[in-house]
Amino acid sequence: MRLNKLYPYILVAPAITLICLISLYPTLYSFFLSLNRMRQGKLESVGLQNFSIIVRSSDFWESLRHTIVFGSFFIPITLILAFLLAMAFNRKLPLNALFMTIVFVPWMLSEIVSGVIFRWLFLPEYGVVQYIIEPIFGNFNFLGNPAGAMGIVTGASIWRTIAFAMLLILAGLQTIPMDLYQAAAIDGANRRQIFWLITWQLVRPTTLVVVLLLSIQAVNTTGMFLAITEGGPGRATEVLSLYMYREAIEFFNIGYGAALSIVMFLLNVLLAIVYFRALRSDLVWS
Amino acid sequence: MSIIQPIDGTTETTLIRRTVLSQNKWEFLVINGVLFFLSIIILFPILYAILTSVRADRMGLVLAFSFSPDDFSIGHYTRLLSTNRFLQYMLNSGINSIGGAVLTTSVTALAGYAFARYTFRGRDVLLTFILSMMMLPGLTNLIPLYKLASDLNIRDTYFIMILVYGAYGIPLGVWAMRSFFISIPKELEEAASIDGANPWQTLLYVIVPVSLPGLAAVFLINFVYNWNDFLTALILLSSTAMKTAPVGLFDFQNQLSGNENELLAAACVIIMLPGIFLFSIARRAFFKGMIEGAIKG
Repeated sequence: MRLNKLYPYILVAPAITLICLISLYPTLYSFFLSLNRMRQGKLESVGLQNFSIIVRSSDFWESLRHTIVFGSFFIPITLILAFLLAMAFNRKLPLNALFMTIVFVPWMLSEIVSGVIFRWLFLPEYGVVQYIIEPIFGNFNFLGNPAGAMGIVTGASIWRTIAFAMLLILAGLQTIPMDLYQAAAIDGANRRQIFWLITWQLVRPTTLVVVLLLSIQAVNTTGMFLAITEGGPGRATEVLSLYMYREAIEFFNIGYGAALSIVMFLLNVLLAIVYFRALRSDLVWS
Repeated sequence: MSIIQPIDGTTETTLIRRTVLSQNKWEFLVINGVLFFLSIIILFPILYAILTSVRADRMGLVLAFSFSPDDFSIGHYTRLLSTNRFLQYMLNSGINSIGGAVLTTSVTALAGYAFARYTFRGRDVLLTFILSMMMLPGLTNLIPLYKLASDLNIRDTYFIMILVYGAYGIPLGVWAMRSFFISIPKELEEAASIDGANPWQTLLYVIVPVSLPGLAAVFLINFVYNWNDFLTALILLSSTAMKTAPVGLFDFQNQLSGNENELLAAACVIIMLPGIFLFSIARRAFFKGMIEGAIKG
């Protein structure tokens, strides 16, 4: 029957249509937009001009630098803490379920809710953390200081993401067969040897996945910055994604914003390529 | 590393288990101590927000630790819940999140079923195509979407929000539904078709009932993601009548005058409730969804 052959296509069609409409087409359209600029409400073709403006814009390089600074704290700290937590949870101690639920609460919060709460903990004169740390830092105004503001957003992002990273590493740890550990124990391996020769070797691919996901998140994170600093003080925490948001949505430079989004897209692709390379050589190696 | 063939497996393992146990006592104390300390740090911002939301106005933040029963007040909640604008935002959030999650669940159930049960030309290409959409960063997609929606005059509508939320959930949903259907024995459908049911009847009367847990998981995860979404709503919505609760919260923070922190805290607590509640009743589904979403294939 002919209908039977068509049947799977009919089932898949709605999902494919929706994805093409909402995800694929706009992405392709942004390539077109990046070659244009808005003038009196109309698009005007300008070739690669947007990209040459980006390369020469000091705001762009500055925002890229902020993204890199953010990532270079956010990624390693989240990873290390998540790894330690995953090791602890992998022991299957009695209270694990309770602690696990607690660790996950921040991940279930909206970016904006976490951002609002964190910002408000550090408000000068009003914020409670500001009050607690007064004996150490004095009247240091975190939100008004470039490094302090970046620190708050980094801390809030780590706070929110740690559970997610931990869960993935834990899933990796749990695929390691118990007999490997038993065999190692019989052979008289000490704890450090067991960790580096068994645990670490076997969760390395998972760890790479987590690093990639955290890097992508570091490049694309926007909501937390909008909620806590809005790029301030001045433009000290204006990361790449925030710069793009500003240009495209607040200043209506759709063409320029689209060009920036292409740059960000390429950055994501680059990260993915690096990761796949690393993963493949890792698999060959082990 | 040489693997010793245990002569008597049981004694070997009990020996190991015993040494592990004696180490465990201290480990238990130390690890749980650290976890307890960490939990306090993790929960502190949230507990602090809850505490602030239920105390009377204008006491300055420093007093929050010295909380006495006299200060207790649910006034901020009643005030919020009698504010039309806040209720409108909550309603909008609800409509968009439920609409998006229903859309995702229904289209991914169909597609997941096809990917799990049929071999057809282009199947693997289509599946890879769908999953690769997960790699598209949200913001890259939102700028052109903003332009397109403006041109078509569908910004600030439930329609566009539901379509966008519905589409964003598809890659993860297809993957989850596909693995779910694979885990259901095929004999069930074969029996139905022997009994003379056509494919649509089989789907509706045999497959859907047994796959309710899977459908519920996809729905819940997407509902929470949609409910918590901030960026998409911020970019695609600008009229007061259409804004969602997270966008409203952002506006509220920006217009805040010094002494309304308690009200802001109450709004935060109300907005965070659905996510935390649904997570606590369906933890397993969330964990599974997160792991599958990240390590696909």
